[in-house]
Amino acid sequence: MGASEYEVREGLFYSKEHEWLKVEKGQVRVGITDYAQDKLGDVVYVELPVVGRKVKQIGEPKNRDMELGAVESVKAVSTVYSPISGTVKEVNSTLQERPEIINTSPYDEGWICVVVPENLDKELKTLMDAKAYSEYLKNLG
Amino acid sequence: MVHPYIPNSRETRDQMLREMGLSDVEELFKDIPPELRIKRGLDLPPAMPELAVVNHVKSVLSKNLPFTKMPSFLGGGVWPHYVPAHVRQIVKRAEFLTSYTPYQPETSQGMLQALFEFQSLVAELVGLEVANASMYDWATSLGEAALMSARVTGRSKFILPKIISKDRLSVLENYAAGPSLELVEVDYDRETGQVDLDQLARKVDDNTAGVYIENPSYLGFLETQVDEIAELAHSKGALFVVGVNPISLGLLRAPGDYGADIVIGEGQPLGNPVSFGGPTLGIFACRGEQRLLRQLPGRLIGMTKTVDGKDRGFCMVLQTREQHIRREKATSNICSNEALCAVAAAVYLATLGPRGLRELAEVCAANASYLMKQLSQIEGIKVPLFKSPHFNEFTMQCTRGSISWLNAELLKRGFHGGKPLRREFPELGEAALLCTTELHTKENLDGFVEAVRKVMEG
Repeated sequence: MGASEYEVREGLFYSKEHEWLKVEKGQVRVGITDYAQDKLGDVVYVELPVVGRKVKQIGEPKNRDMELGAVESVKAVSTVYSPISGTVKEVNSTLQERPEIINTSPYDEGWICVVVPENLDKELKTLMDAKAYSEYLKNLG
Repeated sequence: MVHPYIPNSRETRDQMLREMGLSDVEELFKDIPPELRIKRGLDLPPAMPELAVVNHVKSVLSKNLPFTKMPSFLGGGVWPHYVPAHVRQIVKRAEFLTSYTPYQPETSQGMLQALFEFQSLVAELVGLEVANASMYDWATSLGEAALMSARVTGRSKFILPKIISKDRLSVLENYAAGPSLELVEVDYDRETGQVDLDQLARKVDDNTAGVYIENPSYLGFLETQVDEIAELAHSKGALFVVGVNPISLGLLRAPGDYGADIVIGEGQPLGNPVSFGGPTLGIFACRGEQRLLRQLPGRLIGMTKTVDGKDRGFCMVLQTREQHIRREKATSNICSNEALCAVAAAVYLATLGPRGLRELAEVCAANASYLMKQLSQIEGIKVPLFKSPHFNEFTMQCTRGSISWLNAELLKRGFHGGKPLRREFPELGEAALLCTTELHTKENLDGFVEAVRKVMEG
């Protein structure tokens, strides 16, 4: 599958670790991208963060404070990093029973959690928009 | 001459030295500072032929007295029980005895099936849906249960009873130190030994990950308020963790039936001998909910079907919890298990069956009850210290002299007395923890009572 065949949705922000972020009223919604779900393969389990957990925006070096949980597929277990700093307000508990919706609907039904951001405007600048992320995927080959 | 146990001839040795460019074996040790080397020969007796060695060792071992010659009343976490001959025979089979960890299911179906059956039997016994393939012992199971409670709930406080083996507590403290888990003790009623419910209610809060009790308690009595404790834990969203002696479940309610989310315990009494306190077998079971299952520590064996759907097969499952996949994010440092002890436990439980286990538990409890009654008639002996029903262990207080004196006198009369409790529970005065099992005959019990009476009457 070529890079252009992955869905990259307009209006979202993207991290280099293939998390997406959608700005909503006073909060952001977070998930993993179509590219990420395809590379992982069939998702069998999603480890969700605890509501109320404080997270830091992903940066280098990575540490546990930046983790939102993990997505486990039949092939691998991948950590989900937070594209934004803030407090976890809500988690998608449907994923506990139906983790496969990450594969079938990564941008809608398969969202992972909602975070109340601490420093939205500044941190958004460090993320990619749809165009930049599409370019980024192309360069990954 | 080639040494019988070192099969390298002089020629082989010289050849190896030549390859290494050395002229003498001594040169291999030149990095060791001379002051650390012994400059004389070892002070050993002359070599003996094999038969002479066997005779010598036998004569040394004959100083050991078996249970039948010197009955022991020691329990406290490792309990003596009869191990049926065929349990020993089966675990001695080379397929079990020398098998490597079953990472390759295609070559390990026998061991995997035995461990799966162990898990199934443990799960049924404790009344929960899932059991792992075992931890090292009760203490490591407790440490893991505390950490698991914290992971499942995202909280950091673990509540436990004051009456607990202090060795077990010390392992729990080790586990709690790294992740900064707060351990909170709940006191007990001085009359009955029961957990102080009012104090527990005050201590359980929104940051409580788990509430732990032991039933039977470390000091042998039954915890009678299990339903209330389960209710208190669950009302604040904490997990309810119960520790057991599995033999007691032949008689007592399964913890899963009174609300336990995690059940742990010592599996040694299930077909494993008392051998200087080990090896032991940590039991670990939990409810079959995803949020618990995913945080379960240790190895888990599952049953599945072959690709063509025709045959049943066994393999390790949910390995993404474990160290060889998840490294530092694994649910536990324990990524092995007490495989052979678990096989012994499975054979043992399958042999006894529910009725056999019930009969066994009845005899253990009846012996304790008889011994308590007989000892309580002796002047200077208070038994038991707690007004509660007991299983197979109980406390005994000596009001005229110390337990160490009493035990020394009993030893002279051919009995191992109870475990002294002074170090663990100084508030109980001169007290000991005594244990009875099916191994104690009526003669053993009566003989012990008589010996105690003689010592006390001085």
